[in-house]
Amino acid sequence: MNLRELEALFNPSSVAIIGATPIEGKIGRVLVENFTRRYRGKTYLVNPKYSEILGLKCYRSVKELPEPPQLAVIAIPAPSVPQVLMECSEIGVKAAIIISGGFSETGTDEGIRLEREVREVVERYGIRVIGPNCLGIFDNYSGVDTFFLPEERMKRPPKGGISFISQSGAFASALLDYMAYNNLGIARAISYGNKVDIDDVDLIKFLKDDPVTKVIVLYIEGFKESRGRAFIEVAREVIKKKPIIVYKAGKTPRGGRAVISHTAALAGDYNIYSAAFRQVGIIEAETFDEITDFAKILLTQPLMKGNRVFIVTDAGGIGVMLTDALVKEGFEVPLTPEDLKGELRKVLPRHCIPDNPIDLTGDADDERYREVLEIIAFKPYVDALVIGALPHIPGMTMKLADYISSVMERAQKPVAIINIGSEVALKFKAEFERKGMPVYESPERAARALRALYVYSMYLKKYEVV
Amino acid sequence: MIHRALIKKAILEGRVKLLEHESINLLESYGIPVAKAELASEVNEAVALAKKIGYPVVLKIVSPDISHKSDVGGVRVGIDSDDGVRSAFNEIISNVSERAPGSRIAGVLVQKMAPSGGIEVIIGGLRDRAFGPVIMFGLGGVFVEVLRDVSFRISPLLEEEAYEMLRELKGARVLNGYRGMPPVDKSSLVRIILKVAKILDENPEIDSLDLNPVMSYTSGALVVDARVILRSMG
Repeated sequence: MNLRELEALFNPSSVAIIGATPIEGKIGRVLVENFTRRYRGKTYLVNPKYSEILGLKCYRSVKELPEPPQLAVIAIPAPSVPQVLMECSEIGVKAAIIISGGFSETGTDEGIRLEREVREVVERYGIRVIGPNCLGIFDNYSGVDTFFLPEERMKRPPKGGISFISQSGAFASALLDYMAYNNLGIARAISYGNKVDIDDVDLIKFLKDDPVTKVIVLYIEGFKESRGRAFIEVAREVIKKKPIIVYKAGKTPRGGRAVISHTAALAGDYNIYSAAFRQVGIIEAETFDEITDFAKILLTQPLMKGNRVFIVTDAGGIGVMLTDALVKEGFEVPLTPEDLKGELRKVLPRHCIPDNPIDLTGDADDERYREVLEIIAFKPYVDALVIGALPHIPGMTMKLADYISSVMERAQKPVAIINIGSEVALKFKAEFERKGMPVYESPERAARALRALYVYSMYLKKYEVV
Repeated sequence: MIHRALIKKAILEGRVKLLEHESINLLESYGIPVAKAELASEVNEAVALAKKIGYPVVLKIVSPDISHKSDVGGVRVGIDSDDGVRSAFNEIISNVSERAPGSRIAGVLVQKMAPSGGIEVIIGGLRDRAFGPVIMFGLGGVFVEVLRDVSFRISPLLEEEAYEMLRELKGARVLNGYRGMPPVDKSSLVRIILKVAKILDENPEIDSLDLNPVMSYTSGALVVDARVILRSMG
C-alpha cells in the first residue's frame, strides 16, 4: 500500500467538491461550507449547473479544472459516479471520497452493478477510494471535513489524539458530537461505508505511523472475506505503537454457519471476533460508555507495571465501592504496610484512616491530598492510584488537580479520578481533564477503564515491546 | 503424505467427511497421539486386530451414512477377550442393519480403549470466512455441552497463546487438579492445539475438525474420537 496516497485523503493540498450546490439543506452545500470554514488548501467546486457558488467559482466538469486536485469529494447521484470517478482518474486525481449512496447497500441489481463499476475504475487506475455510501473523513488537523452534517447539528470536537474509524456513518457522527460535548479531542475520524477499496486494514496501517494519532478507536460490524485475518496481522504491529479499542456491533448469534461439526456450532461470529481481538492485544469495549472511558485513560496515562492499586478518597463509601469494583476486575487492593501507615499517621489527623482505601474524610482539603500523595505515589508497591475526589466538601479547591497531576507526572504512574455530582462536580471534572487525568462518574467505570489500561500494559510487557 | 491422499480420495468419492479411520490416520500423520485403531472388514480380522492392539478395546461402526454411532447401537466398549470381540462385532452389524438399514458400511473400527483417570477435553478447528483458521479448546462433557465453556484463537498462534486458551476457561481449575487429583499435562494439550492449527493451515480442503473427546492425563494426552469435515465443493 502506498502511504502517500492515503496522505492525499487526509492532508491534500487541493480538493474538488463534485456536486457542490448553493441549495440549502443539500449535502453539496454543507460540504462547501465545511471546506470554506477550516480547510486551508485550494478548494475547487464542480457542478455543470452553476458558474458560481457562495462567491466561489464553479467549474462545469473536472476536466475544466486548472490543475488536478489531490482529492476529489464526490456527492452526486450514484448512476453518474463511475463516469466521474474515471474522469478524475484520467486527469490524475489520486484519491477520492464517494459520499453518494445508492450502491450495493440497496441490494438492488443496479446498485450492485454501479458498485462493481466503481471497483473496476479503482482496479484499472489505482485511484484510492473511501466509500461509497459514507460520511468520509473529518480531519481535525488539515480541515478536510466531508461529514455532511451541518455544524449547528453536529458539533466538531477539539483537536486531540483519538482517531476513530467507523463502519457506520450515523454512529460516527453521533460519537463525534458526543465527544465534542464532552470535550474529548479527535485527530481524525473516518466513516468508510461500503469499503469498495479502503477498509479498516488500510486505515489502521495508515494511523499506525500518523504522529497525531495516539489511540485508535474502531466501530466494526463485520469484516469482508479474509480481511479479518489481515486486520489481525496488521493490528499486531499497530499495538506495539499505540492502543486499539474496538466496539464490535452484531454480537448476538445468528444462523448461517453450517453446524455439522461441534466446533462450528460452538463458535458463533462474535466469539471469534472477540477471541481474535484479545489475541493481539486489542481492547474490546463491550458497551458504548466504555469506548470513551477506555480512550481517555489510554490516551493520557502511562502503562501499569503491576496490578496493585491504592485508593485515596475523601468519602469512605466511595472507597469501599472502589475496592469492590477493582477486586472484581482482578486488581489487588493491598492493605497499607505498617511502615507506610506510620508515615501517613505523621501527616494525617487522628480521625483519618490510613488503611487502603486511605480515607482523608470529609474535612480534607487540597493540602491533605497533596501530602498523602507525595508519600504513596512513589512507593514501589503502588502500581496505580484511584482518587475519590468528591467536590462536595468545603476544603477542596481547583488546586487539587494541579497537585495530583504534578505528583503523578513525577511518579510516572497511572491515575483515575472518581467525581460524582452536578455543576460543581462538572467544573472539577473539566479541570482534572484539562490537566490530563481521566475522570469517571462511577467506581465501576473507573475500574473497567483501569483494567483496559492494565490489559494493554501486560500485553506489551508479555511480548517485550516495552 | 498419507493425509493428502486420504483427503483427495474422499473428495473424489463426493464425501464431505473423512471416515473415522481416515481421520485418525490424518491426525497420526501430524504426530497427534490417538488411541490406536485399525479397520476390520470381517469378524476374524477384528479379533486379529484386537490381539495385535491389545485388550481392552472398543468397537465402532464406520459408515459414511452414520454420524451418531451410539444412537444406532454401533459402539461397544470395554471388550477384553476374543469372544467379546466376536459377539460385539456381530451385534454391531445386526444393530446397524436394523436401525440404519441401507447404510453403507466401511467396516468396524477396533480401537484401543483409552486408560481411565483422564480428564475429557475437546480440541477443534474451523475455517472462518473473515479470519481463516480458528482453533477451539474446551473442557469435555457438561462444560462444553451446557456451559459452552470454550476458548478460541486465530491461526497462526504462538505457543504462549495456546497456553492462554487453557487458562482463560471458566473451568480452568479442573486442569490444575481438583478433588485431590494432580494437574494434567498441559504441554501435551498445547502441542495438539498447535498441530490442529497446522492441519488447517496446510489443508485448505478441510472446513472443520473435532477432536472429541481428547483424554488428558497427568502425563500425555490421547485423542479418542475425531471428526474431519471437508468443504463442500458444490
